[in-house]
Amino acid sequence: MNNISNFILKFTQVDRRWIFLIIGLSVLLPLFFPIGLPIRATATTQKVYDTFESLEPNSKVLLSCEYGPSTKPEIHPMVVALLHQLFREDHKVYVTCLWPDGQFMAAEALNEVAGLYNKVYGNDYVILGYKPGNEAVIKGMVRDLRAIFSTDVKNTKVDEIPMMEGVYKFEDFDFLFSASAGFPGSIEWMQYATDNTNVKMSTGTTSIMVNDIMPFVVSDQIQGILAGMPGAAEYEKLVGKPGIGTSGMDAQSLAHLVIVFFIIFGNIGYFIERNKTKKY
Amino acid sequence: MIFNEIFGAWIAVFFTLAIFSFLYKDNPFYKIAEHTFIGVSAGYWLSIGFWTIIQPNLLGRLWPSEGYSESSLWYNIYNIFNTLVPSIFPDGGIDKGHSMDLTYLIPFVLGMMMILSIFKRFSWMARWGIAYTVAIAAGLRAYGYLNSYILNQIKATIVPLANTGYPIFHISEPSLLNNLIILIGTITGLLYFFFSKEQTGNFGKLTRVGIYFLMISFGASFGFAVMGRISLLIGRFVDLITYSKAEHHHATLWILVIMVIILAYSAFMDSKKPKNDNI
Amino acid sequence: MIWKRQVPIFIVIFFGFLTLFGWFTDQSDIKDFVDIHGLQWYSIISTFAMFLGIITLVKLQVLKILKKQNGWQYSIVAVSGLFLSIIAGFVFKGNPDVEWGAHVIEEGTLFKWIFDFIFTPLSATMFALLAFFVASASYRAFRIRNFEATLLLISGMIIMIGRVPLGSAISSWFVLYILVLILGIVVNSIFKNKQYTAIFVAFGVIGVTVLGSSMGWPLDKPGIFYLPTLQEWIYRYPNVAGARSISIGIGLGIFATSIRYILGLEKSYIGE
Repeated sequence: MNNISNFILKFTQVDRRWIFLIIGLSVLLPLFFPIGLPIRATATTQKVYDTFESLEPNSKVLLSCEYGPSTKPEIHPMVVALLHQLFREDHKVYVTCLWPDGQFMAAEALNEVAGLYNKVYGNDYVILGYKPGNEAVIKGMVRDLRAIFSTDVKNTKVDEIPMMEGVYKFEDFDFLFSASAGFPGSIEWMQYATDNTNVKMSTGTTSIMVNDIMPFVVSDQIQGILAGMPGAAEYEKLVGKPGIGTSGMDAQSLAHLVIVFFIIFGNIGYFIERNKTKKY
Repeated sequence: MIFNEIFGAWIAVFFTLAIFSFLYKDNPFYKIAEHTFIGVSAGYWLSIGFWTIIQPNLLGRLWPSEGYSESSLWYNIYNIFNTLVPSIFPDGGIDKGHSMDLTYLIPFVLGMMMILSIFKRFSWMARWGIAYTVAIAAGLRAYGYLNSYILNQIKATIVPLANTGYPIFHISEPSLLNNLIILIGTITGLLYFFFSKEQTGNFGKLTRVGIYFLMISFGASFGFAVMGRISLLIGRFVDLITYSKAEHHHATLWILVIMVIILAYSAFMDSKKPKNDNI
Repeated sequence: MIWKRQVPIFIVIFFGFLTLFGWFTDQSDIKDFVDIHGLQWYSIISTFAMFLGIITLVKLQVLKILKKQNGWQYSIVAVSGLFLSIIAGFVFKGNPDVEWGAHVIEEGTLFKWIFDFIFTPLSATMFALLAFFVASASYRAFRIRNFEATLLLISGMIIMIGRVPLGSAISSWFVLYILVLILGIVVNSIFKNKQYTAIFVAFGVIGVTVLGSSMGWPLDKPGIFYLPTLQEWIYRYPNVAGARSISIGIGLGIFATSIRYILGLEKSYIGE
């Protein structure tokens, strides 16, 4: 028993670079050797899915992309999965971006998905593009969308785009989805747009932001939330289009297990040391 | 694959592995990557800020193409700039869909005052610009936070506790116990932040309960923080795996091997250096 | 002097009231200013503030090089990186078909290349590096020193495991067995009697086994011990209660501070 205690105590003093190596391997190995763990949608993810399923056909959905390449692994898969659902149900998709990088991300997602459903730019989806100004853009869109977006990302006048007919301000949309990695993002959309109008919203965010937004989800200010890469994987499962989110889940699971194991092991060592000092 | 992309892949892999090399120890690779990041991101945000805000929204309203006139003194000033920097001041005015609005000279002047504050003698000049931004932020956020963070959240906390048809407890559906937890947790959590009264006696017991709810929330935040970081790590590893393939000439493998050799050699040379003994 | 103190205070009071009043009026000139132009001025001045920060950064790095302070060679790297971005942003587009202005967001330009292959890998990896330090810090510092720390730890672990597919694969009966063992440790620490501990653990294991057998060992029942269900409950109820109290606290703090600024009571922006 003493030998085991001493071994555990020694292990708690190990050079942290060994911990880094173990974490690195726990993420890397499942990427080469997938385990295929089953994915189960949580209630908040299910709520986002059900909300979009309950939209009337041909609804006007505003998709706002506020993320960049550094948060792409978490958010891009959920945008792709959402586009599959929206195009499958023949909704109209209007894309705006409050981050400059968001425009690239949105274009990449649309290039990947729109063609699979024979969707036509200008009739089924349009990229209004990036506009700087953070909350100013949101407030401006609530007031007069065409004052903010006089042209789309291809420099076509908004008046000449068929699907822009009848869309003059934020309230002319039926729903908003904010794919958000920070400021400005979901919270600003909620504060300056949806809380002051009748348009409802859902969101997909990075894992770090989830707990800040949860109170608004439970209070129904936001209809469900896709929480980081696990949320993206769950949504891919619900939509039936497994992608990058799904393929990262094995690595995510194993890494979490390793970290929990480290925490438990560290505490066992702590209690052993505490008992030893108590004896003396 | 075109040369730009292959060369770019090698650069990306070098910087990625250089940052990761910090896990071994602080080393010149990491320092180079870190300082490159500082310089490049400063230049990136400078360019983005200028081309997406200053040029279209400020200069595009001071000298829009809509009101361009060769005979106007104002546009003659523009033409001088056009001669010096035609990329920023294109021929015939700046066409960003705006009409002339000379009130935008106000933010221009406030902005220039901010820049001048770099000189000690004019350091007070930044106060005007800062005061304006503070004013707008305060006015916007006072309403926004009052509505979204306070009123709507309080509304959501007022949950039914009787005559609802809810079960006493259900783990995944609304129930009386769950509603009670929300109510008690929110109130006691708020009470904890009330520092004007000493947290002793019965009040102290209530704030203790509040702390427990806050700790559960912090634990959940910790869990999500770990989840987020691991997700980003997965993203980097996926990119490194992509760049290790033949179409990128196995960039990851080559750079990894070279870095490991250099760092191992450096560690070997360090171990040979005599240690200083403090007598 | 009046322009160092009174004028900034007046600016805050005037524009603060105007912006706040703009939420409650339909008068078109005020709404135009508050919703569009006022906010455009705000983003313009904020951009100039960012320029000031960058100028200060360059000044510090250049001084470091000139004075040959510790690590001055790396400052050359920083300044070179800045100049490379400035060249891509203002001097050389790399794609003549793209207009100036659009070159910062269009494909095929030098600026986009720097963004894709230098800026993005660096920023993404800086964030990803934290994964290792979070793991190391959790291992070395996360200790159950008191009840609050225990709550934090348990809540964090349940969320971490319950939220990923691995949590769905762990049977609730496995969790029950672990719980029996943990309670056995608690019994041992209270009574310090190996016999009591052994009896307790034995009864616990037998009880769980009998219950499981009678129910047919369903993976997700009893629901309270099934990690995804348990984490969902923690996430939706006690966690939200705590997070909501923090949100309301933040809202009250920001509202109060904003009103103090607008009324001219708070003057920290002029150093008072």
